[in-house]
Amino acid sequence: MRKIGKTIRAVIFGITAALCTLSYAQDSPGSQAPSVTMAPPGITNVTRGTSGKVELQFRIMHGFHINSNAPTEEYLIPTALNMEAPTDIVVGRITYPDGQNITLPFAPDLKLNVYSGDFSILVNVRPLSSVIPGKYALHGRLKYQACDKAACYPPKEMPVTFEVKVVKGAPAAVRRNPAQSPHAHY
Amino acid sequence: MKRDPIILVVVAVVIAGMLFFAVKRSHQNSASIPQTSMSGVAKVGGPAPNFTLETLDGKKVSLADYRGKAVLVNFWATWCEPCNVEMPWLVDLHKKYAAQGFEILGVAMDDASPKDIAKFAQDKGVNYPVLIGQDAVGNAYGGVAFLPENFYVDRNGKMIDRAFGLKGKPEIEDDIQKIIASAPDQNVATGN
Repeated sequence: MRKIGKTIRAVIFGITAALCTLSYAQDSPGSQAPSVTMAPPGITNVTRGTSGKVELQFRIMHGFHINSNAPTEEYLIPTALNMEAPTDIVVGRITYPDGQNITLPFAPDLKLNVYSGDFSILVNVRPLSSVIPGKYALHGRLKYQACDKAACYPPKEMPVTFEVKVVKGAPAAVRRNPAQSPHAHY
Repeated sequence: MKRDPIILVVVAVVIAGMLFFAVKRSHQNSASIPQTSMSGVAKVGGPAPNFTLETLDGKKVSLADYRGKAVLVNFWATWCEPCNVEMPWLVDLHKKYAAQGFEILGVAMDDASPKDIAKFAQDKGVNYPVLIGQDAVGNAYGGVAFLPENFYVDRNGKMIDRAFGLKGKPEIEDDIQKIIASAPDQNVATGN
């Protein structure tokens, strides 16, 4: 049993070493296409008639960056989430994180404002008061343009979908009139 | 069957080493060392694929028009930051070597309008023809999956070298000097 454990460890070590060296060898422009992925968002509960925030988490492949929502130059393509407008749920403000300032090795004076690694976007949603409680899917597209340290890749759009569960709010407190004497007449 | 874990480790490390060198060698071949095969139609050492594209003011320009000149075909886009870094270097190098028969064709692989591309190029002081790129031309040059990509074409229309991604100005200048040094064949008509 102990020998089998050793063998498995040895194989895992070997595979890890192979993957590490492969990843090092591919650390150069064009050896890999960039990718941005979204973590499964889960379902956010939102009370109808009120606003709620949905957090969408994205991951950029190691070695790449994408422009932030507010890039330093007007000709750079900002990362932007465009949501389709559903009829029963209002999509409000979309909040982007601040980017990180970086410089390119060949242009140390030029600052870029980018996202790399993991980043989150917050989407404000408000189901109308008349919405029937239940689950609703919202769809959109994230537009981004990725680069590595020496090359840039054409802009891409990825589909973004998340669900919100609209729930009934707590019943509004009934305003009661003060007790009055049945004999009081004005 | 008894397997010694040390042997497995050695085998795994050897495989890792082989993978490393295979990928590294493949990258070197595709990035800088002249070679005879390439995805798409273009081959280093072979004739540069000819193309005809429109300039920003609507004139048609063919690579073949520049036979007899040393030409750098530069694929770029307005949204490409490394291209933006490279552009002033290309402007300088064009000024420096134009008298020796050097020309740059800037092929814009961009969704922006010709007007916006023209404004961008003007702001950057571009002093060489800018052409509106087409996917077919990119495909002939290996797909142009990312930018910038530079192809160095000698006076006889042969592709001498290519560079993927941003390189340093001295490396670009070295490649330009190589194509300028190429002697035109006697039977090649000089264009432009």
